[in-house]
Amino acid sequence: MSANRWLATGNYFTTYKEEQRIFFTALDRLICAFFLTALFIWPFFIELDSKDMLVIDNILVAVIAILGLNLVTGFAGLISVGHAAFVGVGAYTVACLSRVIGDQHVLITHAWPLMIMLSGCVGAIFGGIVGLPALRLKHLYLVMATLSFQMIFEWTIGFMNFFNQGQTIFVGRVFWFTGQVGRKEHYLFWYYALLVAVVLCAFAVRNLLRTRHGRCLVAVRDNDRAADAMGMHPGFTKVYAFALAGFFAGIAGAMHAYLYRGVGMESFTLHHSIQYLAMTIVGGLGSLSGSFFGPAAIMMLDLQVEKLAEWAVHFLPPGMNLATALRPLSFGLVIVLFLMFEPRGIANWWRILRSYVKLWPFRY
Amino acid sequence: MSYFFQLVVSGIVVGSIYALSALGFVLIYKSSRVLNLAHGQIIATGAFISYGLTVWANVPIYISFLLSMIITFFLAMSVEKIFLRRLIGEPIISVIMVTIGLMSIIDGLIYLTPFGSENFSFPPFLPQQPITYAGVSISYTQLMGVIITFVLIGVFSWFFKKSTVGISMRAVSDDQLASMSIGVSVPRVFGLAWATAGLSAAAAGSVIGNITGLNFDTLHAFGIIVFPVVILGGLDSLLGAVVAGIIMGLIQQFASGYLDGNWGLYGTAQVLPYILLLVLLLLKPHGLFGTHEIERV
Repeated sequence: MSANRWLATGNYFTTYKEEQRIFFTALDRLICAFFLTALFIWPFFIELDSKDMLVIDNILVAVIAILGLNLVTGFAGLISVGHAAFVGVGAYTVACLSRVIGDQHVLITHAWPLMIMLSGCVGAIFGGIVGLPALRLKHLYLVMATLSFQMIFEWTIGFMNFFNQGQTIFVGRVFWFTGQVGRKEHYLFWYYALLVAVVLCAFAVRNLLRTRHGRCLVAVRDNDRAADAMGMHPGFTKVYAFALAGFFAGIAGAMHAYLYRGVGMESFTLHHSIQYLAMTIVGGLGSLSGSFFGPAAIMMLDLQVEKLAEWAVHFLPPGMNLATALRPLSFGLVIVLFLMFEPRGIANWWRILRSYVKLWPFRY
Repeated sequence: MSYFFQLVVSGIVVGSIYALSALGFVLIYKSSRVLNLAHGQIIATGAFISYGLTVWANVPIYISFLLSMIITFFLAMSVEKIFLRRLIGEPIISVIMVTIGLMSIIDGLIYLTPFGSENFSFPPFLPQQPITYAGVSISYTQLMGVIITFVLIGVFSWFFKKSTVGISMRAVSDDQLASMSIGVSVPRVFGLAWATAGLSAAAAGSVIGNITGLNFDTLHAFGIIVFPVVILGGLDSLLGAVVAGIIMGLIQQFASGYLDGNWGLYGTAQVLPYILLLVLLLLKPHGLFGTHEIERV
């Protein structure tokens, strides 16, 4: 590499290895390190009440799920309308175990990282199974297949006694080295746990996309026949993409279960699947940074709309619930407007901003 | 035995409602290859318009049905013009997501009205006494629904077979480029497809509203249940929609009549269509009457 290790301007890649590095410049690395440190230490300076902390935790859970959905829908181009069901599979793995062995069992409370990994694996298995129709089907038929998985999942949970018919199944409080995580620090603790998980998952995805298998996903999305001719196996790649999505969804689900200390049907409905898809689109299909922007944007929007509805209550006739109306309305408008005017999502704005800064002394 | 026949009769009633709901869905798919996930919401809109006209504006009920069909005709046409027109040629996920967005928008708009939170029912205008024959009974509203379904399906089949507009719509669904070259306005056909779908959705909504009462959740659920129906019938076949709708209605009625309560199973009617959908997708994705055009990977 040339002498200038700090600016992207004027640097050209001379080997493939150089091109595939995670950080192109030392500045990138520094910014990333700084950003991560900031994410880890801000709770020491700013005290948030548990309600706000829960919002942030929710965003992080969604980020993990969206990383998976972006792999399958964004990078591999397979539309999945059943992502909430995969998240549900992860959550119900923890819930079932806690139902069988008791919610205070040492496996649930002490070995929770193991449980989260296990849920990821169960999610991956389900993802692989649901991905099987992808061997034969494309596009909108796949929409139907994943939709029917979502419906079958909802029915299984809602009507089986084993799953408490969709009512809450409790999951015990976890233990950390310092003892049981109490009520006060619960959300803070899970903020850190989730942050670590998000960082690990994001790096895993970033790394995957540098490797042969990750590039396979993109190749199959762009043209599966060409990919086939290049010696890739489109069928395997598609199932594999679904399994990966299931893995991330499973992790997200398990963490959701621990975060809420219980699992209920209402968090894994078709509506949530659609919300996940919307997050992916608003964030930017097929971009890693979009997986962070999307959930944050949609959840913040939801929050602001709720605040607006609370504020507007004073001006409206009593009994009218504006939030139930404004939420879907704003949600739908955001999806439609993004698709019409910025199909590449918020990640595109981020890209433009980055290249502006990167080339800074020069005009973008 | 009369239990069996009762299930058959109610299966046919439910099935013809499904057929009517699926009709609009198939119309849109057939001409513009758009998977319209907002169809349930359009059905609900049609039903609410016809209720509003009947009860609040005191329009005679038959005329209000017709009026709601006409209003929804133009509403759906403008929906196509505003939202879908820009997305011609975009990747399929964008188009699907726009209909999902549309679904949310209509949801929000309906929640702004009283229909979102309360239940209404049409004023009865047919004799309340059910027709009973050999232990099997069917109410006049249900009979009316079945008749409306078959009349509408007949009208639509005629429309597609004989009328110039119908033929141009079929031409567009067959080959857009070729039909454009012989002077068919493809965007106009897309608009018309949405409009006719809106019309049939309003009819479906009015029929459902009369049979089950006006509940937003029940009404927009019909937008999801049409998926198994249209896949079973073949995504682009009108006849398929009818046959599959009735088959699906029968399956659901038999499931809830014979399976529920036995072997610890409940609510099987809700899940069987989707299991069938999954199996069909794996074995016969083009359905009973659909065009074979699935690509293998």
